[in-house]
Amino acid sequence: MTISYWLLILVLAIAAFTIRILGLFAGDAIKSSRFNWVLDELPGLIVVSLVASSLAGQPVGTWVAAGVALAVAYFTNHVILTMFLGVTAFGLLLWLGV
Amino acid sequence: MKHGALAILPLAAGAAVYGFAFGLLAAQVGFPWWGVTLMSGLVHAGSSQIVAVEQFAGSASVLGAALAGAALNLRYIGIVATLSEILSGLSLRMKLLTIHITGDENWALTMAERAKDPAIGARFLIGSGLVMISVWTVSTTLGAVAGSTLPNLEQFGLGFAFTAAFIAMARGLWRGYANLLPWSASFVTTIAAVSLGTPKAYAIVTGAICGLVISHQLRKRGKTPK
Repeated sequence: MTISYWLLILVLAIAAFTIRILGLFAGDAIKSSRFNWVLDELPGLIVVSLVASSLAGQPVGTWVAAGVALAVAYFTNHVILTMFLGVTAFGLLLWLGV
Repeated sequence: MKHGALAILPLAAGAAVYGFAFGLLAAQVGFPWWGVTLMSGLVHAGSSQIVAVEQFAGSASVLGAALAGAALNLRYIGIVATLSEILSGLSLRMKLLTIHITGDENWALTMAERAKDPAIGARFLIGSGLVMISVWTVSTTLGAVAGSTLPNLEQFGLGFAFTAAFIAMARGLWRGYANLLPWSASFVTTIAAVSLGTPKAYAIVTGAICGLVISHQLRKRGKTPK
């Protein structure tokens, strides 16, 4: 494990704990501030952007598999099932040469 | 404490499956099992870890990966803020420990149980939290051990597992049609930015900011009920 891995773990741990501490000492103030909506919105927007960045420039098969995953996620709201069926669809399409 | 530890077990079982899957993916992108153990114990945030590891594998930019991951955890500002009454009798050291071992599952269970019985408090939260962080750390480690013994699973489509996980996370964060326009804007902007050759980390930030701008405009016009 190179220094980058250690750094990632350390920086992420500090960031995650800082967020919790912010909640402990300033949670109420932040929640009642006019910027509270940003905290509500940002996680969803980042996840959507992550999906988009991993689909950009990919072949049709990847988009179809993403469609399958989206349908599974929509109807089940289950993370593991979405991952399992999404990967299965992707593997199947890969195997079919799509 | 025992009450909380036992009550959380069904939810912990669900987290264990997710943890195992995360450990497997992390090992496949080069994390040793003990690195995964360390990360799970120190970070204790499932979606943050999965995002950070995927970003790190793709770009090797530590700061970008950590910030993308951490942003997913912003909800903990609100989650921890709701605990102020429960934590009020604890020492500062215990408060810090408790907020670290608090995850979505044991927080939600504690709040739900407390609504029924006001005697439920810090001990329940700590008992259930200790189980959650233990199960999370052990299951991610086991996943990483399994992942490191397997051959490269990329050829079988394992790389897509991250995308599928993000799609599932998005579903969990979906709050109704008020999200549709901002989310679409983020999606299209990110695709356009990547297609124009922008590095993915910047494309993601650009997409998220674009979504925030749209959301802000909608809020100003009073079109979002929240």
